[in-house]
Amino acid sequence: MAILLDENTKVIVQGITGKQGRFHAKSMLDYGTKVVAGVTPGKGGEEVHGVPVFDSVKEAVDATNAEASVIFVPAPFVYSAAMEAIDAGIKLLVIITEGVPVKDSAKIRKKCKETNVQLIGPNCPGLITPGKSKIGIIPGQICMPGNVGIVSRSGTLTYEIIQNLTLNGLGQSTCVGLGGDPVHGIDFTEALEMFENDEQTEHIILVGEIGGTGEQEAAELIKEKITKPVYAFIAGNGSWVKPGKQMGHAGAIVQGESGTAKAKMEILSKAGVVTVRTPQEIPEKIKEKSS
Amino acid sequence: MGMLYEYEAKELFRKHGIPTPANKLYKNKESIDDFVKEINQETFMAKGQALAGGRGKAGLIKKVTAEEAENYIKSIIGRDHKGKPVQQVMLEEPMTIAKEYYLAIMINNATGNYHVLSSSMGGVDIESVAKEHPEAIFRQDLPIDFEPLPYQFVDLGKKLGFQGRVLNQFTSIMVKMFSMAISEDLTLVEINPLILTEDNKLIAADAKVVVDKNAYYRNKDLAQLKSQVDQYTELELEATEAGISYVELEGEIGIIACGAGLSMATCDLLEYYGSSPANFLDVGGGADREKVHKALDILSREKIKGIFINVFGGITRCDEVARGIISAKEELNIKIPMVIRLIGTNDKEGIKILEENGFHAFGEMKPAAKKIVELVKGGN
Repeated sequence: MAILLDENTKVIVQGITGKQGRFHAKSMLDYGTKVVAGVTPGKGGEEVHGVPVFDSVKEAVDATNAEASVIFVPAPFVYSAAMEAIDAGIKLLVIITEGVPVKDSAKIRKKCKETNVQLIGPNCPGLITPGKSKIGIIPGQICMPGNVGIVSRSGTLTYEIIQNLTLNGLGQSTCVGLGGDPVHGIDFTEALEMFENDEQTEHIILVGEIGGTGEQEAAELIKEKITKPVYAFIAGNGSWVKPGKQMGHAGAIVQGESGTAKAKMEILSKAGVVTVRTPQEIPEKIKEKSS
Repeated sequence: MGMLYEYEAKELFRKHGIPTPANKLYKNKESIDDFVKEINQETFMAKGQALAGGRGKAGLIKKVTAEEAENYIKSIIGRDHKGKPVQQVMLEEPMTIAKEYYLAIMINNATGNYHVLSSSMGGVDIESVAKEHPEAIFRQDLPIDFEPLPYQFVDLGKKLGFQGRVLNQFTSIMVKMFSMAISEDLTLVEINPLILTEDNKLIAADAKVVVDKNAYYRNKDLAQLKSQVDQYTELELEATEAGISYVELEGEIGIIACGAGLSMATCDLLEYYGSSPANFLDVGGGADREKVHKALDILSREKIKGIFINVFGGITRCDEVARGIISAKEELNIKIPMVIRLIGTNDKEGIKILEENGFHAFGEMKPAAKKIVELVKGGN
């Protein structure tokens, strides 16, 4: 099972002829992802790593029946690329690009909701179902198939956690990076519900950070609906964090009490989540629960 | 966060037709005579320009007479306000106030909609109004792609107590605020207070605007504003130009890490072991040799006691990064303790190279963090 993505998912790479698109298309192909087409307007007819390139997503979908697309185009072109993918009937849209204006992200999100498209990102590492397929840039070699689902607002911190799990013999069902922007596609609650309904997943890790209210909404849902054990690490849990200052991610900014890691950890703990102060503690906590 | 100075925000208001009091900006001890003549009033509002809040409490906003104004300006230019000197003072035409309101529009991150927050009790802290007088707060959600038209704000205007010609002024201001927010990619526009004058005119007495930095490429005028430079330190600006996210903090150990989440977790871990980060520094997901060199260059100019480099290289070869660190240390003449954590392609080779050159290098994050704290705290 796993969520959102499996070995049969057919994927288009938008921006496949660019440096990033080309590199990551190769790494996805090597991992076993069914990358069936690339799209770069004006470069239709070319090939990248043996994958045919089309001028439009519509042409690519008509030729391949792809249902997912991953966007690597520069930020100013993301809005148009995303709208194009949605209009062409793509059902899973992953935007890796960082630096997309928030108004554009919000409009993409609205259109996705109206058309039942699953949106992941922008400014995210994508997702991976270990041993089967990956969309995006999560390094495949650190993952291992198993029963731990991960949903995260971060990229490299997620890799850190995945690696710790794998080294401890704990495999993953699916790992999803939601993205570091304040407005993004699917959020913690949606991913949590998918993991709850997924037979393969037995443990769920939530990786949050300062800013926003996603963790609070997750806590509400966990209290009411999630029966599987949830573990959480919130980045920015030290007293070093300066309110009002953005820490790398556009969404990582403390504005008011609710945005602090402390507030988020408290509310998650109250909802029954196992919260940890360092990401490296997660494997032992999972082992404690499993034994 | 791309907050504007009040005077910049008011210029933007005027560009979009939102009424503001007449004002003029002073940078040093220029004569104010012309402005005094032009306004022809006995008193003025003098407002020190700063990006941090709490200007009123800090004495940066004061009603002064024409005679007092010049001395007052002199007295607040150069004064520190939350870590930054006041560089400019705005003199403003005084308003006759019949009533004060609060008005803000923003993008609600949780829903992705535009959100209007308004109150018939303005001129005070909106959060305390929301707590003590929730009945005086009025909200409205609008889709992110809506077209602002006056009729959409009639209900809201009535709730706030406007009627007749003032109601029309209000709906017109709302349409202009939204047109401005949409066309200039603003994530927040706040007017507190919006003043109803004794002769029944609505006017924005204060203005707070936050621009979306990701949209600089299509709002080039906003990107050039003084506030967009002043909100950073010199080193933070230098880092931004090199594609590095850098925030100066107050602690003792400088950090270099890949990715925002891992950088925050690195700062957390230093605190966990009893030390503190001197900065947040994120070179991005794929740390390359040049960026790590630039990051070390920046840290070498800060007063810090040690450096912790935490590289989770997805694409980058760790042996390359290791060689980069060794040459940077020599070139920049770094004498303070350094600990490096490397993981990714060729990580074992990278660690070996570093150890051969006398560095403390680790494959895991926790022992590496522990080591740098020990070194800085005086152990070996």
